[in-house]
Amino acid sequence: MARQSNGKSLWGRAFSNLWYFFNSLKLTIAVLISLATVSILGTVVEQNKPVEFYLTTYPRFGKLITAVNVDNLFHSWWYTALLLALAVNIIVCTFERFPPKWKSLLNHKQEKFDPKVIERFAHSRSVSVSADAAAVNDRVGRILKKMRFNVVSSVHGGDYFYYAWKGAISRLGSDFTHISLLLMLAGSIIGSYYGYKDYRFIYVGDTVDAPNAEFKIRLDKFWVDQYETGQIKQYNSLITVIDHGKEVLTKQIWVNEPLSYRGIRFYQSDYGMAWDRVDTAYIAPKNIKTGVVGAPVPIKWGATEKIPGTKYSVKVVGYLADFAYDEKTNSVGSISADANNPAVRLEIYNGDKLVASPWIFRNYPGIFPAIPADKGVDLVFATFKPILYSGLSVNKDPGTNVVWAGALVMGVGFIFAFFIFHRRVWVHVRQEGLTTEVKVGGMINKNNILFEKELKRITEFVEKGDRSK
Amino acid sequence: MILSLLFFTFSFVFYVLTAVLYAGHWVFKKKWLGQTATAMSYIALASTTLILIFRAAEARHAPFSNLFESMILFIWATNVGYLVLEYKHKQRVIGVFVMTIESIAMLSAALLPYKFKSVEPLNPALQSKWHWMQDLLSHVGLEQYAIGWLDFHVFSTFVGYGAFAISFGLGIMYLLKGWFEEKGRSNVLIDMFPDTAMLDELGYRAIAWGFPFLSIGIISGAVWADYAWGTYWSWDPKETWSLITWLIYATYLHARVTRGWRGKRAAILSVAGFLAVIFLYWGVSFVLPGLHAYA
Repeated sequence: MARQSNGKSLWGRAFSNLWYFFNSLKLTIAVLISLATVSILGTVVEQNKPVEFYLTTYPRFGKLITAVNVDNLFHSWWYTALLLALAVNIIVCTFERFPPKWKSLLNHKQEKFDPKVIERFAHSRSVSVSADAAAVNDRVGRILKKMRFNVVSSVHGGDYFYYAWKGAISRLGSDFTHISLLLMLAGSIIGSYYGYKDYRFIYVGDTVDAPNAEFKIRLDKFWVDQYETGQIKQYNSLITVIDHGKEVLTKQIWVNEPLSYRGIRFYQSDYGMAWDRVDTAYIAPKNIKTGVVGAPVPIKWGATEKIPGTKYSVKVVGYLADFAYDEKTNSVGSISADANNPAVRLEIYNGDKLVASPWIFRNYPGIFPAIPADKGVDLVFATFKPILYSGLSVNKDPGTNVVWAGALVMGVGFIFAFFIFHRRVWVHVRQEGLTTEVKVGGMINKNNILFEKELKRITEFVEKGDRSK
Repeated sequence: MILSLLFFTFSFVFYVLTAVLYAGHWVFKKKWLGQTATAMSYIALASTTLILIFRAAEARHAPFSNLFESMILFIWATNVGYLVLEYKHKQRVIGVFVMTIESIAMLSAALLPYKFKSVEPLNPALQSKWHWMQDLLSHVGLEQYAIGWLDFHVFSTFVGYGAFAISFGLGIMYLLKGWFEEKGRSNVLIDMFPDTAMLDELGYRAIAWGFPFLSIGIISGAVWADYAWGTYWSWDPKETWSLITWLIYATYLHARVTRGWRGKRAAILSVAGFLAVIFLYWGVSFVLPGLHAYA
């Protein structure tokens, strides 16, 4: 095409040159090998780490790695460019090669041909049979039919001509496969523009908004299944979808079983104990003089309970899983989400009068007296019933279905390309004296070994008739 | 544990014996050696099948969940592929190479540390059963035998690996034969090989089976990942290496269409492809961290 550039505008010539460049199998091979090679780099160099990681791990190449995006290689502009080059390569090659192929598939029948062509095929055979042409012709017709070939035949001057074919659809296998790749690429692009990923953690009993959507979800229950050996079998959440105030569906989800509603999917991702609240705290009275600790009283979060044997009522108002005190800001907080140093804050009432509001610690009972004014009674934080939360990955990807459509097309393409073969067979039957010579030849688009066997089967049948196996 | 390990030991002996018999047939050209070798490969296949069956019974799930189990599946698939090849093309000398690969695979499975061998219950991420199949089987009370994405994904991937192992053997044979032909040397053993055109064609046939199965393996993995984690592709090292392997074999398929790339270069690509498979299978599990690190 580039050679016909005379008289074309500069743009026209540039376009032809570009078209010529992309209409090349060599480019395909170059791009495929390049993609394979650079992808290796993306598995050797850890991806998406902070800059400091690369500077310390690779003192000599750290700067280079971040400068040319090897730290995020699969989303770098040049990896995308390689993928795009492959896509353009596929499109241009399809435009160039598909129409002539399609034409030849529609218009390939050769009722009349020069018998000399048969010997010029890569695969050809000939046999002489001591029978007349009509009888041999009958055998040729029968074996071709038996082998499920499509046949056109003709007679010219006592010679019989056959043109037979099957599996033509095999030729479309590569086109289906190539289009499937384009579909998958399109699906991934749609996903990166219109999809999103998010994360929600919900306490049991709580309701949260679904991200970028007009409905809410509520976690009714969370539990862990275990094997008899104690190994974890499954994490489960019971989720209810609330759409405009109405409960529309409840589903149990686990790893490998997401909830899908209006194109948004919720996946069981992780779970844990709340770090800033408890379901119930168990508070026990302690006689300071005798050291005897009474029965713990379960107190629900936010509720007030009387502590038997004392004059106090207690309300649970605060909880920290890993209590820490910061001197600088004179504030308290939890330094981790794990219950390493669980502490509850109580409001202690004598009748209606608030007498103290201390933090007390499960691991350090009595370190600070709960009620400084009372030298007889202390309160102990015995244990607690945690509130569990369930961590859900939330995801919307409208491109996914396009990718799966691509996968389906690819499957069809593979069946056409790898398990169906396009054969074209030419047969010439000619009687010379008492014997009849049969020439068989043709081509197959792949699987030459199979084709040799098939030609052999044809000639053997022609020779021996029904006696051949 | 006992029965599957018993048959593992048997199979190990059988594969080594089979490889030796094929080699004997190759060197001494005695027909009975060849026939015995073929019979032995069927026995080895039966024994490998029994490992898988007993393993499944012991673990109470399809035996595809760790490195040891998948090695047995790989050996099984390669053996099946080879027997089909031998039945169709009657070239026993290929058996020397394939059964050597099988013996090496057996050895490496035997040498795996205990933690890769033990029967384990499935962790949460590996528990995926097809609901439609469970529903269907529940009518006859067999729902525990339903399979899922794990089984489908692993099985089709390893059928692919098996085919690639065979194409690797054929590629090595091609390169050996080609090397001798280039040098103009003749060697009694090399002369026993099928001619280079046949080796090239058979190598292509093996890849023409392996490539679609690898692709189905990758895609079913993606479908499963999407169902379990919400992303069908996350550039995890195993995923990336499966793509690299896929790209190498895609290159092979396109290269064969181009005249200059047939034969030697194609054979080199098929050898490179299988080296990538080995890294994808073992290298990624041991060297690079990721979601598949357990298998």
